This record gives sequence, C-alpha cells and structure tokens, in this order.
Amino acid sequence: MRFFSLLLLVGSMAMSVQAADAQNWLSRLLKAEQRQSFQGVFVYERNGSFSTHAIWHQAGQNDGESRERLLRLDGAPVEVMRVDGRLKCGSSAVADQLIEGEGPWPPRPLDPQKLAEWYEIRMVGESRVAGRSAVVLTILPRDQYRYGFELHLDRETSLPLKSLLLNEKGQLLERLQFTQLDTSTPLTKDKLEPGPACQPVEVLQTSTPKQGAWRSEWLPPGFTLRSMHTQPSPVSGENITYLMYGDGLARFSVFIEPLHSALVEDARSQLGPTVVVSKRISTADGDMMVTVIGEVPLGTAERIVLSIRASEEQADR
Amino acid sequence: MSREALYESLSAVMDDEADEMELHRVLAATKDDAELRAAWSRYQLARAVMHRDLLEPRLDIAAGVSAALAAEAMPKARIFSWGFVGRITVAASVTVAVLAGVRLYNQSEMSDAELAQRAPQPSLSAPQVQGTPILAGYTEGVEQSQEPSSKDMGKDSEWHEKRLPTYLRQHVQQSSVNGAESALPYARAASLENR
Repeated sequence: MRFFSLLLLVGSMAMSVQAADAQNWLSRLLKAEQRQSFQGVFVYERNGSFSTHAIWHQAGQNDGESRERLLRLDGAPVEVMRVDGRLKCGSSAVADQLIEGEGPWPPRPLDPQKLAEWYEIRMVGESRVAGRSAVVLTILPRDQYRYGFELHLDRETSLPLKSLLLNEKGQLLERLQFTQLDTSTPLTKDKLEPGPACQPVEVLQTSTPKQGAWRSEWLPPGFTLRSMHTQPSPVSGENITYLMYGDGLARFSVFIEPLHSALVEDARSQLGPTVVVSKRISTADGDMMVTVIGEVPLGTAERIVLSIRASEEQADR
Repeated sequence: MSREALYESLSAVMDDEADEMELHRVLAATKDDAELRAAWSRYQLARAVMHRDLLEPRLDIAAGVSAALAAEAMPKARIFSWGFVGRITVAASVTVAVLAGVRLYNQSEMSDAELAQRAPQPSLSAPQVQGTPILAGYTEGVEQSQEPSSKDMGKDSEWHEKRLPTYLRQHVQQSSVNGAESALPYARAASLENR
C-alpha cells in the first residue's frame, strides 16, 4: 500500500514537472516573438478555404522598432504591417472594420499561469515542421465551453511552427502551418516596407456605451469583457452595441442591433472555427437581434446568446 | 397504441431516430398524458446526468417541439443561400429544435465540424418568426406570434445576409488587435477574402 501511494506521489510529481515544462515552453514562445527576427511562409486552412502567406518579422532590439509584415501570396493580395505592435496599414479585408485598438482595453499578452486555470497545458511529444525539429504542446480545455489547441514549437527558437484548433472530438477546425522558416538570414529593408495593397487604417467612429448597459448573465468561466463600443452600422445606420470577451486564448464578439418591427428569423452558421448564432430578444426599447460570433463551440455561443440582457436602467428609460 | 410502443417512440425521439409519424404520435400523447411527459423529462435528466451536465428539469421539451411543428406547418420551405458564409441554418425545424434544446445543456450530440461539413439541407430552413421554440419553458417563456404574410418572408434572410459578413469581419479584425498572437487572427481575416 505504501509503495503504491509512493508511486502515486512520484507519478504526480512527474506530472507537475511535465506541466511546468510545458508552461516553460509557452513562456519561451511569448519571448521568442519579441526577441527573434524571422521570415517565412505559412499556409492557413479551414473548412472551405486554403491560403498561403508570407511573414517578415523584425524584433525590436537595441531600441530599434519592431516591424512585422504579413502578405497573402495567393488570390488578391492582402497585407498588414505592424510597427511596434501597432497597425500601420492594412488591406480592407483585414482592417476596414476596426475600432480603436487602444483605450481602456489594451491587448493583453498571453499569460501561461492564468491560461492553466482553463486549459491543461501538456507536452506530448516531438515532431518536424518546415524542416525543423519541433516540440508538441497541447492546450486542452478543462470544460466543454472552449476549443483546444495543438502547438508545434520550434526547438531552437520556440517560435510556433504549427497551430491546430481542435473541437471536443479532436476534429481539426483550422490549421496554420509554416512550410518554410528562416531565423538566421538578416531581413532586407525592402521586405519590411508595405506594398501597394497596404492602405492607411481608418478606425470606425465609436462611442463608449454606459457601463453595464448590456450584460451577459452567463459567461463560460474565465471569459472577461475585453472591449465595448457602440457604433453606427455601415449597413443600416442603426447604433450597434459591440462587446468582446476573451479567456486569454479564445474570443467571441457580441453584436446587438435594434430590429424595430422588422421580421427576422433567428439564425446560426459555422465558418471553419468561427460560429455565428443570432437570436431575437425583447427589451423595453423594442426587439433586438443579438449575434454571438466567436471561435467557441456552438453550445457555448447558444448559451451566451440566451444570456444577454439589457440593464434594468436601460429598460426603465 | 400500447404504452410500450409509445415509450419506444419516445426513446427514439430522444435518440433523434424517430420518424415524423412517431414524433407526432409522441407529441399527441404527451398532450394529455402527464406520465409520459414526466418520463420525457426524466429521460432528459438521465441523459444529462450521464453527460454530467446541468439540466433544468422543468424544461418542457414537448411544448417546444409542438411550437416548432406549428411554425413548420407553413407550406413554403425556402432554400437559403448565403454565398459569403456558405451555409446558414434557421433554428426552426423540429430536428434542430430538439437538438438545440439538448445541445444547450450538453453539446456532445453533434460536433460543430460535422455541422459545418454537412451539405446544405433545404428541409432545415423552414421559416419561423419570433419566439424560438427551444425556449419553451426556459426563463423567457414562449412568444408565439402570428405568421407573417409571405410578402415579408424574403426580407429576414436578407437582414442576416447583409450584416453577418460585416459582423464577422469586425470580429476577426478586432481579435487581431486585441490578441497577443498576430498571424492567426490575420490569417482568419485574410481568408475571408476569397472571391
């Protein structure tokens, strides 16, 4: 018996060592993107779409600015350029619906400690991607409200070489995978200059709604409000309330648009990893269409859409 | 019909294997058979427990399905095409109502990937107005409104068709601003630009 519990103890220690190791890799990944310059080509694949892209990444060392340029290589060129993490320019496909990136909700870096509350991070083996040897991590959800990831990190630099999004049955929802990565050749200046497809970014005019004008009675554990705006719809001119929630890895957006007396059905749809669920709700200000869009399971989105409420204050108005 | 046969049908409904006749039979029987209704609720509960999931035991599935059937009684089933996102399911048909009601509490029934991979099924897009049947017995209660005239029916799909692409773009673009990782949200946004 004693032997058995000793075995258990050693076993659990080995497990926690292994988990710590996996967390270490995740921390190294975060540092790698800040410190390591690289250039490469990757593919992105989801249900119904396959595309190829190039990336040039200049780490901001010795008080130089960090620069990153991404360019879609097939079809219409889609391009994005970031300087010191800020969007400098972008094609309309990637930047025409942007609302302020700064403000009360600055981007939060991935926090491996916090992530471990909602995901189990494990090192599961080794692989080879883009001709480089890699370490395989799985980031699996501890509940059924989010998806899991499989990450293949470059053994030498910790850069992510392959990232798979998996549903609860282990089915692949999307894949981002490098086919070529160069971490040693210095980047030439012309590769870090935006091309003609990269247009200056105009952010949409927004205002901040009253705190708590809308809320969700239920959220999957770990998800918090990351952003909240109201803005006129480019389609109808109606004021749309926009909320974004995240758990540090997965994100979903909530759109609330007044319907007035329009007859509109509830709807749902799935685009690769992204689910869309729309549902009509009644408020004191008339009927609204609530739409939840995010990289979360359908059940999660359905439950959120049913939990959105207008605040009492608004209802009294 | 014998009770055994009725319970068998009920179990088929639960497993989503019932044909339309069986479904109607079970629904008709539950109307004035409290025992059968209770059995239905128990089955739901048992199933939820097996999946270790929370379930609101008072959820009246039968009422929800009846409402869905009423809504589906409308003659025209429209084929809905939304080129941008590929496929949209209107939560109105009986199958979807039953599935959705269950999936609310445990989502192992149908994977999203399967849902995404399935070919478009026109039979699933029976039009339906406010008051989602799956909500019967849920906190908000049922809102049954009269059916709209066929003139208005074209508009509502248009409503989503116009807005969802914008919503989707905003979601992926905002993700790339709010997120720490850059390549993945960028790739998601760039992949929307297919045609």
